Amino acid sequence: MNEITRISPVTDDEATRMARPQTLADLANQITAMPVETPSGGYRLAGQRAGRSHKRRALLVVPLVAGLSAAAAFVAVAGNFTSAPHVTSNRASGQALPATQTAQALAFTTSPGGGLTVIVRDPLADPAVFRAEFARRHLDITLQMRPVSPSLVGSVFYMDEPGNGPHLVPITAKGACDTPGGGDVCPVGVQIPAGFRGPAEIDFGRAARPGEQYVSTGSAFAPGEAMYGMSIRGETVTEVVGQLRDRHVSVAYFNVQGSTGNGLVHSVPGGWYVYDADPWAPGQVMLFVGPTEQQPAPTPPPGNPVPTPTS
Amino acid sequence: MCMVSKGETWKGESVLSPPVASDSRQDRFQAMYQACHAAVLGYVVRRTASPEDAADVIAETFLTCWRRLEEVPSSPEARLWLFGVARRTLANHHRGERRRLALADRLRDDLAITYRPPQHTAEESRIVAAFRRLPADQRELLALNAWEGLDYGQIAVVLGCSRNTVRVRMFRARKRMASELASVPAPALWGSLARTEMAHE
Repeated sequence: MNEITRISPVTDDEATRMARPQTLADLANQITAMPVETPSGGYRLAGQRAGRSHKRRALLVVPLVAGLSAAAAFVAVAGNFTSAPHVTSNRASGQALPATQTAQALAFTTSPGGGLTVIVRDPLADPAVFRAEFARRHLDITLQMRPVSPSLVGSVFYMDEPGNGPHLVPITAKGACDTPGGGDVCPVGVQIPAGFRGPAEIDFGRAARPGEQYVSTGSAFAPGEAMYGMSIRGETVTEVVGQLRDRHVSVAYFNVQGSTGNGLVHSVPGGWYVYDADPWAPGQVMLFVGPTEQQPAPTPPPGNPVPTPTS
Repeated sequence: MCMVSKGETWKGESVLSPPVASDSRQDRFQAMYQACHAAVLGYVVRRTASPEDAADVIAETFLTCWRRLEEVPSSPEARLWLFGVARRTLANHHRGERRRLALADRLRDDLAITYRPPQHTAEESRIVAAFRRLPADQRELLALNAWEGLDYGQIAVVLGCSRNTVRVRMFRARKRMASELASVPAPALWGSLARTEMAHE
């Protein structure tokens, strides 16, 4: 339809040119550095092809870099991870559930209006246990508790509901989660409305254990994060690494900006400059660095006047 | 609906090098990303009025793709699968379920610099006004056809319905659009009204 084509805001090429090529390449590189687990809690090394499974996605773990101690520790922790035993139900099918049913990992309560409120009771349970407890109630819900940086603990960081029925309402618990050391409390959950059909997937952030890489992160400078209160403006790699050492924080990777390359490296010249940082794992960050004090700025194409913004 | 104009762009050649032929998950993702990132950027940027939202939705779409790589069909269908994910992620954002991803920080910074509201002629403003009066699902149908250039079969894949359903709904959407266009005042009267309406976005 010609009229609609006329009012297309941008073409694909124009949209792509609104981002720096380095930014787009970095995004892909950072995404592919994220670890992925198999649903049963098993792990597979990078390079081995995942088998296709019918119901579940077959996913594989990619250790970050061979020899990186954090990755090795992650695999070791995973190998020692004991999953909660599967709950077997003695209940005959057809019996109604009482108003509050406390299962091993999840607590279900019926809400007025016919919905369900579900709270996580064991945030460190194997995701297969959550899945099974939902499945017992004919709910196609995948709930996962994943390690995240401190400012995201207790919040939702991923949700997908491809169906077109009524949606889940997440229940968050920011500030009320304590999983790594002393406790295993992180009372997040979902409200399931009557008429919910699924499927749905929801990932909550829990505190990371030593050696676990964060699967989602807030700003490295937010309260609770490794670089809270630090200023890196105009500082060199040597200066920043020194300040981090005082805080018992190390650098997992340097992410090189600018035309000299892309990707993650383990060492850069100390005289290079630090532009930004991301949390990486407990006690570890990733630094964005480059040889010049200023990061490259965008160049407007020649001959294009910059329109003044309205309102 | 997105309010973006052809504003500043970034100079520089692509740093997305073609992947070495290989089986590995990373190589498969990089190949798909190289083939599809422009289409996803265009799709999302055309439908968001905020650079922050656009960056988060784009990053989340590709993160989903990485996590569910086995489900992504091979080209050319991969693009349609990605539009479906982007559409649902956008819907989450509009419902208020926004998640700021650190992953998207640099993209957010870039888009915040280059984002500009579009400058429409009087006639285009008239079309925009009529388009906005349509319900969201009709706008999406017309946009997938006119902006992404998808045919009915491809739209059916993105929306998860049958081709025949697309055909029927498209007929209704076009009819509605024509009637809205006919009811909007002629350009001569529209000049100052259009500027007022734009200012409220």
